[in-house]
Amino acid sequence: MLGKEILKEFQDIVGVENIDDGDVMTNAYAYNWCIEFVNYMEDKEPIPFSPIPKAVILPSSTEEVQKVVQLCNKYGIKFKAQSTGLGPWNQPSTDNSVIMDLRRMNRIVKIDVKNLYAVVEPYVSGAQLQAETMKYGLNIHMPGAGPMASTLASHTSMAGPGFTSPQTGYSARNVLGTEWVLPTGEILRLGSLGLKNEPDWYSGDGPGPSLRGIMRGWVGTKSGLGVFTRVATKLFPYPCHTEYVLKGHSPIYDFKIPNFIRAYVVDCKNFKHLEKSFIRIEEEEIALICSHMSSYAIMAIFSYTIESLMDKIAFGSMKSPLLIVIAARTKREFDYKQKVMNHLMEELNLINIIGTKYEPESLFYAECLRTNLGYHGFIATGGFQSAKGQCDSAALCLRAEMKNKPLKQKYIEKGVIANDFGEGAWMTSYESGHFFHMEAPTFFDQTNEESVKGMGEYMKESNQMDLLKHLGVPFFIEGDQLHNHWGPHLMNYHNWLRKIKEAFDPNGVSDSGFYISGNEGDV
Amino acid sequence: MIMNNNNFLQNLTKICGSQNISQDPKDLKDYSKDLSFLEGKSPLCIVWPSKSQEVTKIVKLANNLKFYVIPVSSDSKFKHHGDSLPKKDNCIILNLSRMNKVLSIDRKNRVVMVEPGVTFGQLVPKLKKKGLRLLLPLNPTSSRSVLSTALERDPITIPRYHWDSSDPLLCTEVVFGTGDLFRTGTAAGPGTIKQQQKMGQAQVNPMGPTQFSPFRVIQGAQGSLGVVTWATLKLELLPSTQKVYHFQSDNIQNLLDLQYELLKYRLCDELVILNNINLACLLKHNQQEISELVGNLEKYNLIFIVSGRGPLSKDKISYLEGDIDEIRAELSLNFSEPNVEISEKEILHFLNEPCEKPWRMRSKGAYQDILFLTSFEKIPKFISLMEANYEKEFGIYIQPINQGTSYHIEFDLHYEPENDNVVKTIKKKILDVGNQLMDSGAFFSRPYGIWAKDVFSHHSAETIDALKKVKKIFDPNNVLNPGVLCFDD
Amino acid sequence: MDEEEYQKMIKRCVRCSVCKWIPQVQIKSQKYASGCPAIDIYNYHPYSGGGKIILALAYEMGRIKPSEELRDIVYKCTVCGNCAVACKYMSTLEPIEIMMKLREKLVDIGCGPMPQQKTYIEAVKKVNNPYNEPHEKRMDWIPDDIILDPKAKVLYYVGCTSSYRRKEMAIAAARIMNEAGVSFNILREDEFCCGSPILRTGDSNTFEEILNKNLDIIESKGIETVVFSCAGCYDTFKVDYPLSRKYDFKVKHTVELFDELIESRQLQLTNNVPITVTYHDPCHLGRNAERYEDWDGDVVPLMPLISINIPPKPKRTGSKGIYDAPRNILKKIPGLKFVEMERIQEYAYCCGAGAGVKSAFPEMAIKTAKIRIEEAEDSGADILVSACPFCSTNLQDGIMDMNSKLKYFDISELILMALGLEPEKLKQATTEGA
Repeated sequence: MLGKEILKEFQDIVGVENIDDGDVMTNAYAYNWCIEFVNYMEDKEPIPFSPIPKAVILPSSTEEVQKVVQLCNKYGIKFKAQSTGLGPWNQPSTDNSVIMDLRRMNRIVKIDVKNLYAVVEPYVSGAQLQAETMKYGLNIHMPGAGPMASTLASHTSMAGPGFTSPQTGYSARNVLGTEWVLPTGEILRLGSLGLKNEPDWYSGDGPGPSLRGIMRGWVGTKSGLGVFTRVATKLFPYPCHTEYVLKGHSPIYDFKIPNFIRAYVVDCKNFKHLEKSFIRIEEEEIALICSHMSSYAIMAIFSYTIESLMDKIAFGSMKSPLLIVIAARTKREFDYKQKVMNHLMEELNLINIIGTKYEPESLFYAECLRTNLGYHGFIATGGFQSAKGQCDSAALCLRAEMKNKPLKQKYIEKGVIANDFGEGAWMTSYESGHFFHMEAPTFFDQTNEESVKGMGEYMKESNQMDLLKHLGVPFFIEGDQLHNHWGPHLMNYHNWLRKIKEAFDPNGVSDSGFYISGNEGDV
Repeated sequence: MIMNNNNFLQNLTKICGSQNISQDPKDLKDYSKDLSFLEGKSPLCIVWPSKSQEVTKIVKLANNLKFYVIPVSSDSKFKHHGDSLPKKDNCIILNLSRMNKVLSIDRKNRVVMVEPGVTFGQLVPKLKKKGLRLLLPLNPTSSRSVLSTALERDPITIPRYHWDSSDPLLCTEVVFGTGDLFRTGTAAGPGTIKQQQKMGQAQVNPMGPTQFSPFRVIQGAQGSLGVVTWATLKLELLPSTQKVYHFQSDNIQNLLDLQYELLKYRLCDELVILNNINLACLLKHNQQEISELVGNLEKYNLIFIVSGRGPLSKDKISYLEGDIDEIRAELSLNFSEPNVEISEKEILHFLNEPCEKPWRMRSKGAYQDILFLTSFEKIPKFISLMEANYEKEFGIYIQPINQGTSYHIEFDLHYEPENDNVVKTIKKKILDVGNQLMDSGAFFSRPYGIWAKDVFSHHSAETIDALKKVKKIFDPNNVLNPGVLCFDD
Repeated sequence: MDEEEYQKMIKRCVRCSVCKWIPQVQIKSQKYASGCPAIDIYNYHPYSGGGKIILALAYEMGRIKPSEELRDIVYKCTVCGNCAVACKYMSTLEPIEIMMKLREKLVDIGCGPMPQQKTYIEAVKKVNNPYNEPHEKRMDWIPDDIILDPKAKVLYYVGCTSSYRRKEMAIAAARIMNEAGVSFNILREDEFCCGSPILRTGDSNTFEEILNKNLDIIESKGIETVVFSCAGCYDTFKVDYPLSRKYDFKVKHTVELFDELIESRQLQLTNNVPITVTYHDPCHLGRNAERYEDWDGDVVPLMPLISINIPPKPKRTGSKGIYDAPRNILKKIPGLKFVEMERIQEYAYCCGAGAGVKSAFPEMAIKTAKIRIEEAEDSGADILVSACPFCSTNLQDGIMDMNSKLKYFDISELILMALGLEPEKLKQATTEGA
């Protein structure tokens, strides 16, 4: 709980009903997905609760956020900002903290059709934004986490791989003007948004160097360097006709498949051919989705229950599956893309099992367009998280997957992670094959302590393998311990990151649990 | 004056050898001025390192002995922006032009690794042989550094490949102002570059390492935060078939409306908008031919290319043509044909090849450029503002960037350099008009030249404060290119 | 849900927040993406379905103690079931069942229900209705010309709200059945509260008593079919009663009956009703009105950490609610133009009245109603229609509060209009009631 005077000061900012420091509320906010094995990895009790914040605050505007941050500086209390809040990165690292739930900041500020960007506040979900941009024939980039996740959080603070990345890129690369409340309470407006005369959202860089480089890297700072209150993100052409009609009832809706969309699932048989096919297909710039998954995952994306997954054993024998979805705006575009695919399949000796051995539910296409495929990862055990997360060439990603297999098998044999034949991977192409990332979704049982510990051990060992075998940098290298461990192997980047933290957060009030803390230590 | 000139020279000689240092007064004079209106000071010497270890040592020495280092990437005599002119005493010019190796060309991953001294003239033909192409700015000079062009965020002419404002720059090896060597993006590790490549990595992900992206702060910094000793750059595949479209109009809005649709649906590769003056400069090589052509062109020209590659290239072109025709019909736009014949070959030449001498100089022998970013709907406003405030003709170049989310606008003021009065007028105009443009919301994201300081007075204090914090981190002693941007205020 | 299942399930929420929205693939606008009135109004995460699962876990772990704060969050929920539909699109969690179990636990220790709910529960015990109206006045709604058949095998179970507050609905239903020649009877003084408003507060003991009393009466009369015009009563009899005690008679909502009668031409809709109408799916007629199916299968461990149900265990996803019947009816009314809102069927937005919220948190009930009314206005309709007296009361309260130009009718009133009969105008919009 907060002291009476401090509570009053916060109440004066957001209103009495928008701050709660009771046990019930603060305990509820201490819970999150995967926090149990994060706790385990930090040698804490593997429960799904983080340190309990002193209060939960609901600001409604940038100005309120600023005042909250200023108050945190005044009283030496850390803050942790969250919006849709999926994942342990939303949790405070100390109980001397407040959580800022940005739910009330939920406006789509602008959809600029002519300049192809949208400006959103934190609590606009991907599905909400896509539904609005579709009205203009435009699309957004949605992260693999799903359409219920915050667009702003993905673009400014988290990661950002997506199923449609061949056409919509990676969240970090789609950021334009950004409004950013720094840990000191100043409001920094990036790029053209910082102009004194006619500020605007179209550019996030300059003048001169781009502060987007401080804002985030391959992954974001996860509330470790202030609060992002508005962001402009690039828009893309909607890949096909925007008519979007679903009939019937949950969960297997009947989707009126738009003209000019088609899926292919092919087996490349081995990683070498997979690499060749992946690159070759992406060079032709025709795919909306081009993802490699394990055969298990291919089964899962076409299933809505664990039982119905068992029907799809035909996919289970695939050695190196590749999912490709093409979509087009006009018939001639579609005809061309199909012709290219036919040509490629002949060239690469691939056979499409869609339409021959298997026909997906029409809903599958809605989920492709709505980026809801990743959610199928939960159907096996109810819990999963990804190890790995490196991004560079296709060869690196596939090598990482290959090297990971025996490691994963080891933990499968221990019975602590689910058996996905050891191959569990999701690999997607970016920007028509210019780079690729892979991650290894791993299914564990969050209610089973042995499984949680096993998952934690597996993540540690997987990270260490990537480090020692030069397999790139996984997603979740965050927090002081991991940065101090990895830094010396990566040009001592952690020293620079620490300097950034010290410079921009001198009082250490922006929670560093999933970022890095300054040398002087925190409040 | 540096405390001990001998000590300083001795140290430099130890690092890179006396044959790579010059204190020739002619050389020193050359580097104290360029084609901008800025006046520079005379540097202490010119140094040509040949490897990154030398650069590291030099920058560390600069920190110890308190001299300044101005990195330049080429010996080009055509520098126009004043960003590499010494603005203080005790500067050395760190000329990276002898670090000119093309370290690798990777067809599979569509990436090239180059040292700073690699020029367009050197690289473009090499890539062509492998069926690859660079993402080029508009007809760059062949002596210009490829790497520094990418560091400057020069707009590229294929906006559909401009996924992020930082493209085509990927990973870098950089020496920060502290003298520390660093590699950005996936080049940071783990492992050496060799070890990474052994594992199949190609240094194609510029982001990171982890939770920051230092390559973005080095880019646009005009060498004031770090000295880049190599970089990887994105490549694309060379098309086998290209078809040129050239539409003219005296109404820029028609062309803007059309290019918006083309770019939105990713229907073309190169896409540029030029006024008659700039197009004529690109196509012709002397003043007379340029004037003649200007008279035969409409005021505004939209040029775009549709391309195909491989056995289905014709199919691709056919579908693109069909979609383009449909869009034109929907927009009901009519455009005129040029009065003179301009061949596809001529257009493809300036879009695909570098030139010997800056094309902007062809009209009158000299030019100054005013360049900034803006949004779609403001383009006509800025053109009108410029026309209202500058009586003479000037070149216009509009480049959609970042897949059409913003636009680079460039006004090229051509002039005869021998004419002192004209020079005086232009100098004053650039400042005046530049400020008027800034007052009206033009975003000078690349602050150069005599209006550089004014850019920052038009920008928020928080941005300047943040940039200074960044400077303090990466170059705490301000040894790198002092006087540029906002760091010395 | 038994205790073992509860203890397992409360540990499984992944905090994905889908429970706050309608199913992701159904979202067609920013404005109408949300599915949970509680979190829409109160904003804090624990108000969502997933949030309540977390509260249940924290409570079981002893991290939070019973308190007014806990109670208020748990009871600020209409149990509309959207969270369950959205969650079960992919998952197998049961947020509503967990929340109901938590309510039961709070009632057991005296921390629930809300004081206002306790008042109406006492009223039910005393006078057999939550409105604390005299039991003898339960039949006052019947006009003299309604024909009843004491020997009929069809029973019209009127329900408390229609009997005391929405008499026009009871009258309309009775008139339509008469017009169609359907022979029916009513229970008169033997009709008591179905127990729904009590069940939803977690007072399962009192509910059990009511359930048994009602079933004893109906079974003693040899009834073959019970017809309801109240979605709450219908859902309670259809879904909740069989969990405790099976019975042999059929249950139907009047929309199902009337749809059949229109289809078989026993009812002929000939009068022109030139209005533009949108239909609000009551939660208790829609997604919640899906029976639990018996499942006698096995949980088979397939491999470590993965078990499957053999045969597959039926999952209540809201797909078997009554959605087509009311729409069929509306589309057959001559001259009527039917438009849909964005959130319909199993992902319809709640009216805001249910589960004791209208009594305990009237401001929440009204705010929720107003959200729904705005959606109805945006559909382009000038008439809002539904098939539940609870929805009727709360939505009409909302219409009045917002000065909306919308008019509200029960579907039975529109049928009367199409039959050329005058709907009774005995609307009694009130701020009281369950």
